[in-house]
Amino acid sequence: MSNTSHEVAQGPHHTSGAASTALSAHSIDKKFPGVLANDSVDFDVRAGEVHTLLGENGAGKSTLAAVLCGLYQPDAGYLMRNGKRINLSSPRAGLQHGIAMVHQHFRLVERFTVSENVILGSRDLPFRLNRRDINEKVAAVAESYGLPIDPDATVGDLSVGQRQRVEIVKALYQGAEILLLDEPTAVLVPSEVEKLFENVHAMTAAGKSIVFISHKLGEVVEISDRVTVLRNGRVTGHVSGRGTADTKELARLMVGRDIELNAQRASHATGHEVLQIRNLSLSVNDVSMLSDISFSVHAGEMVGIAGVAGNGQRELADTIAGLISPTSGSVTISGSMTTDRGPIQAREVGLAYVPEDRLGMGLVPSMSILDNLLLTRDRQIVVDRVSVRPEAARLIEQFEIKANGPDHLARKLSGGNAQKVLLARELSGGRGATKLLVVCSPTRGLDVGAIETVRRLLNDARSAGQAILLISEDLDEVLSLSDRVLVLYRGAVVHETPGETAKLSQVGAAMAGLANEGRS
Amino acid sequence: MLVPFRVVFEQRGETPRRLSLLVPLSSVFAALFFGALFLIATGHSPIDTYSNMFQDGFASFNGITDTLALSTVLICTGISAAFAFQMNLYNIGGEGQLYLGLIGGAWAGIALGDHLPTLLMVPVVLLCGALAGAAWIFVPAFVRSRLGTSEIVSTLLLTYIGASLIKHVIYTPGSFFRNPNTSFPQGRLVADSASLDSFGSSRLYPTFFVALIIAVALYWVVKRTEFGYRINVIADSPKAAHYAGIHANRTTMWVMLISGALSGLAGAMLIVGPYGKIEPSIITLGYGYAGIVVAALARNNLGLIIVSGILFSGLRVGGNNLQVTTDTPIHIGVMLQGAILLFALGGEAFRRYHIHVVRVHDVSTKKVAA
Repeated sequence: MSNTSHEVAQGPHHTSGAASTALSAHSIDKKFPGVLANDSVDFDVRAGEVHTLLGENGAGKSTLAAVLCGLYQPDAGYLMRNGKRINLSSPRAGLQHGIAMVHQHFRLVERFTVSENVILGSRDLPFRLNRRDINEKVAAVAESYGLPIDPDATVGDLSVGQRQRVEIVKALYQGAEILLLDEPTAVLVPSEVEKLFENVHAMTAAGKSIVFISHKLGEVVEISDRVTVLRNGRVTGHVSGRGTADTKELARLMVGRDIELNAQRASHATGHEVLQIRNLSLSVNDVSMLSDISFSVHAGEMVGIAGVAGNGQRELADTIAGLISPTSGSVTISGSMTTDRGPIQAREVGLAYVPEDRLGMGLVPSMSILDNLLLTRDRQIVVDRVSVRPEAARLIEQFEIKANGPDHLARKLSGGNAQKVLLARELSGGRGATKLLVVCSPTRGLDVGAIETVRRLLNDARSAGQAILLISEDLDEVLSLSDRVLVLYRGAVVHETPGETAKLSQVGAAMAGLANEGRS
Repeated sequence: MLVPFRVVFEQRGETPRRLSLLVPLSSVFAALFFGALFLIATGHSPIDTYSNMFQDGFASFNGITDTLALSTVLICTGISAAFAFQMNLYNIGGEGQLYLGLIGGAWAGIALGDHLPTLLMVPVVLLCGALAGAAWIFVPAFVRSRLGTSEIVSTLLLTYIGASLIKHVIYTPGSFFRNPNTSFPQGRLVADSASLDSFGSSRLYPTFFVALIIAVALYWVVKRTEFGYRINVIADSPKAAHYAGIHANRTTMWVMLISGALSGLAGAMLIVGPYGKIEPSIITLGYGYAGIVVAALARNNLGLIIVSGILFSGLRVGGNNLQVTTDTPIHIGVMLQGAILLFALGGEAFRRYHIHVVRVHDVSTKKVAA
């Protein structure tokens, strides 16, 4: 595969092309303790194109981007800008060469206005700032790429999408020719994604280069002129042509083998109602997070909740788990009302909850596997670790957790193994026998082997008669596992369909908030 | 590129075992070396000074018993600090809680008179001191657990009020705590039944063993009990605590109250031990603040507090005696204590980071043809 990449970087078709290479990276190596994050990676981006870096979490996309913008120095390899070799000692050096990164987590001062944020870090400012001049300049830059923004607005008052716009305007204002967008859609609602893609087109039309970093296949196909796929720090392939890339092919390159996107769902007779949610609404600081949600999950049934991140999934899960009190409505688990009763009562009637945030919420990082197993159980005044130890050892074996034993610290586990510990604890029952399992993004960031194990465990739990609520941003996962699929959009269930006959296009449209306007 | 080298801090995934011992030891030696430079510059022999300090701190009968006597107090204030610190609650007002412990202990020792036998009286005095210390931290603990108000500021400010309170009860004519028989302002002695005898000719009191027992007991509580389990969960990730239904507010309250009680206990130990009364000079000694240092040296590990408490006490006793046995100014001793602390804490960087120097290869000079 590295041969292919070599060709793309320096092949003859390239130099004869209409646009010249704006920035290229050659045999980049970057090592972190224990990980080779980039292994002789070649990459290039031309003026006026969108070149996507695609890969799973931990594939080395963000590391490569950090090297490209000067945040990291490569251990080996070099960068070339417009055919000249460059050495970027810092992001500032990157900026001097017209390379800027828009980070996934914005780096803005919330108390400052938009234009104050934009000029932050500029070195050639006069001693006395002329605000009107700066505002005009900022507005002009924003306007020319279709990024309307009020230069006097305080950043703290802006929405996430608008803040991202500020970051982009800042990069453009500083003279960026090459913009690296690190997972820019992760925080956006569908309408904002659309708007962002329009801005991207406006920028490429003006000759800017965009390096788009993502792991979401659908949007990658939509936006990219070319795609470079990374896996385990190595380039595994290239695909070019906007809208022509085959998602199956991309998935294969990304994961390393053919992926069966179709269902492996076994059908069961479902039993009695385990989870019943009635008219659940939640407002936080007068912002509606959940509105009038009603549904139920039966024994032996898996109900999937699809939706773009930030549409109320986390709030829904936390409310069911008793961590948040809803503004109105009720949650009933196994016939007992658990609304407002707290997590311990919910667990006593059979709740198990695998939160999205594994290390830090589901698991205590500095504690051992053994102590983490005790987290959701009934503990005596003097904690009895001796009698739990054999069980911990048994679970480690049963769930194939790679650890040195029950005393292995949670923070030293890999993502997949941490998730297995969490599942082992939640599935093995704590305060009461598990009847309802709420799982959030159970396979995010895991490698393929772990993903398969986790999905198998969920299927097994369903076969054993547990009711499962699967909340995931991974639409393929929701569609392939669930018996029923609900789509959450802006805190409301906007679409419901049986899993077997669910149509990707329909569910996707509902996720984008187009449920009432028919199919897209 | 003017400097061809760059210092790189690389976070360690795991601290190698040997460094856990090597770093503190070399920190102490580095501090002694640093101190030696000052000693030489001021015309003192570093070797003589250090051997005197060691002699007076650890290697003579008076030295070691004085060291253990001082460590009785410092172990208490040390665990008071470490117990709160390990839950990220920065009670830096142990000093003030110690003053209150002195007042509370003295009150019990005077007011209860000779009605109780020593075996009962001493525990009552210690308990009253501990309660007074806990009471002094109650308001900071309450507002911290309910409103999230910074306990750093509130506990520190209360220390100044505590110091004024000590002065008030001693210098006010007719005060309950003031010795009525002298015109010179002095604390009133507690009842005989509230005073312990020291061991032989030493200044070491049995309270030393109380401090040891408390240190070991709290270590056990944190490692083995449900309460300790909660502390560990909350300290590491409040979100996980919330997830598991652990009430952080309540635990915060208890941990701070216990921390205050321990500093108060340290004050009461001075009442049943060496002082027997409120000694206004306590506000110049900084035993409460020293507890923070003891906790920092032990990296808040309750199991190590006994060791760091005795070591630090030895340094202090040895340093203080310098002026008596040699003509070295007392400030040299104080400076050495500071240097050791500074180096010990600075050494942490070596434990946490792999620090190495790399050559910066300048590629800008070797331009590659396009």
